[in-house]
Amino acid sequence: MNKRIATMAAITTIGLLAGACATSTAPAAEQAPTTGPADLTFWMTGSEDEALVMQKAADLYTRSHPDVKVKVSALSWDDGHAKVLAAATGKSGPDIVSGGLSWGIEFGGLGGMVDLREQGIPEAVKAKTQQGVWESITSRDGAVYGTPLDMTVYLTYYRKDLLEKAEVEPPKTWEELTSAMDRLQDDGVKVPYSMDWGNIDWLQYFNFLRQAGGALYTPDCKPALNSDAGVTALNYWADLYKKYKAPTQTAEVPAALANGVAMVSGGSWQIKAVDTAQPKMKDKWATAPLPAGPAGQGAFIGGRIVGVMSYSKHAAQAADFIKSLYTPEAVKVITDAAASRGVLWISPLTDNIGNLPATPDQIEAIKAAFAAGYGPPNCAGWETSQAEVTKKLQEVIYGKSEAKPALDAAAKIMEQNAG
Amino acid sequence: MATATGGHRKGPRTGSGARRVRRNMTSYVMLLPFLTLFAGFLIWPLLNSLYLSLTKFNGVRPPEFVGLANFERLLQDERFMHALSNTLVYVLAAVVLTSGFALVLALAFRGQGWGDRLMRTIFFLPSVTSTIALFLMWRWIFAAEDYGLANTLAGWFGVDPVAWLATPGLTIPIMVLMATWSGMGYAMVIFVAGVNTIPEEYYEAARIDGATTWQQFKSITLPLLRPVTTYVVVTTMIAAFQVFEAVYIVFRQVSSVGGVLDSGLMIVPYLYDMGFTKFQLGYASAIAWALFLIIFVISMVQLRVGRATREL
Repeated sequence: MNKRIATMAAITTIGLLAGACATSTAPAAEQAPTTGPADLTFWMTGSEDEALVMQKAADLYTRSHPDVKVKVSALSWDDGHAKVLAAATGKSGPDIVSGGLSWGIEFGGLGGMVDLREQGIPEAVKAKTQQGVWESITSRDGAVYGTPLDMTVYLTYYRKDLLEKAEVEPPKTWEELTSAMDRLQDDGVKVPYSMDWGNIDWLQYFNFLRQAGGALYTPDCKPALNSDAGVTALNYWADLYKKYKAPTQTAEVPAALANGVAMVSGGSWQIKAVDTAQPKMKDKWATAPLPAGPAGQGAFIGGRIVGVMSYSKHAAQAADFIKSLYTPEAVKVITDAAASRGVLWISPLTDNIGNLPATPDQIEAIKAAFAAGYGPPNCAGWETSQAEVTKKLQEVIYGKSEAKPALDAAAKIMEQNAG
Repeated sequence: MATATGGHRKGPRTGSGARRVRRNMTSYVMLLPFLTLFAGFLIWPLLNSLYLSLTKFNGVRPPEFVGLANFERLLQDERFMHALSNTLVYVLAAVVLTSGFALVLALAFRGQGWGDRLMRTIFFLPSVTSTIALFLMWRWIFAAEDYGLANTLAGWFGVDPVAWLATPGLTIPIMVLMATWSGMGYAMVIFVAGVNTIPEEYYEAARIDGATTWQQFKSITLPLLRPVTTYVVVTTMIAAFQVFEAVYIVFRQVSSVGGVLDSGLMIVPYLYDMGFTKFQLGYASAIAWALFLIIFVISMVQLRVGRATREL
């Protein structure tokens, strides 16, 4: 018996020692010649359609750089984060990745992505992009591990017919929104308002927080959402669910409009989707910027970054390809290819917003939203705090907590995760 | 004979081991591919994960040895405790309902006629279907959009749409429903095999003695099915403890890992969240080993209880 125990202990010890060796870090990737041929792999987070759109830009690049081939593959949003982490851990996978705006800071901070300052990309792009987004993708130490690939912003989608019937104008302020919801309910609209992208999540709260004059963090990254503005925003947002019965379970913009919801807060990419998914809604809907709060306009700007994995042997070629994505030719190819597939692609180069394949009023709404938009915070620990902060916000929506204690608890979580 | 063989085996060591190896070489060579895969894909990752559970590791930078700190953190982690309590409630309900319905189905469709075979096949189908496909189907059933079957049916009866996946009180019941629906077919097949091994003579004798159907079930079927029941309960429990897809596919779309208010947060999705969202792979490994210990202890208790009740 003792012999068996000793054998087991020996095997376990050997295993632990071997395990220790197995997870040690390999040296930085050896670089191939910076001007030589290269076969690049690009994991594009998003749909197959979006990957095919990006392949057009890759093909454009290959025409002027015949030695460099770029193969774009789609990576779903659901498991993209885990797959990029697995690639970074295994030091095997794509040369280029795209993903959420915070991913560059996250994976770059782990040592998994290249600081693009070394490749000269930020200088070429920074001045032309929306500044709020640029701040979001820049690490606190100034490193830029991913540059903005595209942008999305919140808009209000509304049913023109239902609003006209209730004699309501698209709301421009919180007061007008409240009054419009009352009028619509009196007019028999069961669900006057719903939220799509980021429903019952910090993303939607972020809009109201900014409109109330609050922020998630102070400029020096101290949690700040438990301010008076934060409480005002949370109470107003929670009332949309509690008092006005905004659905807690998300229906996407096209389905919500078709189901008789009068106003929906959703992402700008849905502009092309409504008529495609719900042809019966044609000419019955329009868009507007989100209503302003006590402190004015405010909307979350999302989107994707694109960057180079640190194990790539072709970092120079990959960075050169990324730089090419900001040329007018590439932007046009991507925007047109996206439009032909029913996707509204908004380049991070703000000068291009006026040329979007959308109606003039939609373009005006998008411009106004971007002008008052903010990207996600670039503070340490925010990415890991999001889910738990969301649960604290939900406690208020579901009547389990008051706004102030919930926000205090959320701030504490953010502080702990800041490390 | 046994003594003689034993004596022969205990003979002079010199050369006997080598001879035995030579004699069994073919078997060892044939076992080698399996052993290589077993060691490479099971033993090695297990030991590596045990090592990682004693480290702070973000997946990219080298692991830093922290001793038992990850396990100490588990005891103070409110979300882990919440996930554990959700998991225990879910496991209890899923195991009882899956085993119960499976037994009822087995008794109802134990025969060899085409009707029974057809019904067994129908109930077994979820077990041979991709779990991803199954859970996507459940997601559509409970969707808020106009294709959501549950709300469409509710609408036919004049009931207002229900936020099925965003109502915390419905999360675990929906998960139990999905687990029972997809798991009872497999357990039914095991029970059918067990029921059909019980000699018909026992029932005949009981009927002659005037036993009712219920008395026959209680005094013959249930006691003789005890080993099968233990097997079904233990395997169903292990699968229930490891629930992941239901949370990840059905509830994650409503609100990050764990669903609304963490009402569906279970141990494995929490482990995934820690490892692949928060890059805390050392802590995630500690959660994995804690789950292993919980399942191991509960399984041992069940097996002991099963053995003890058989000896009564």
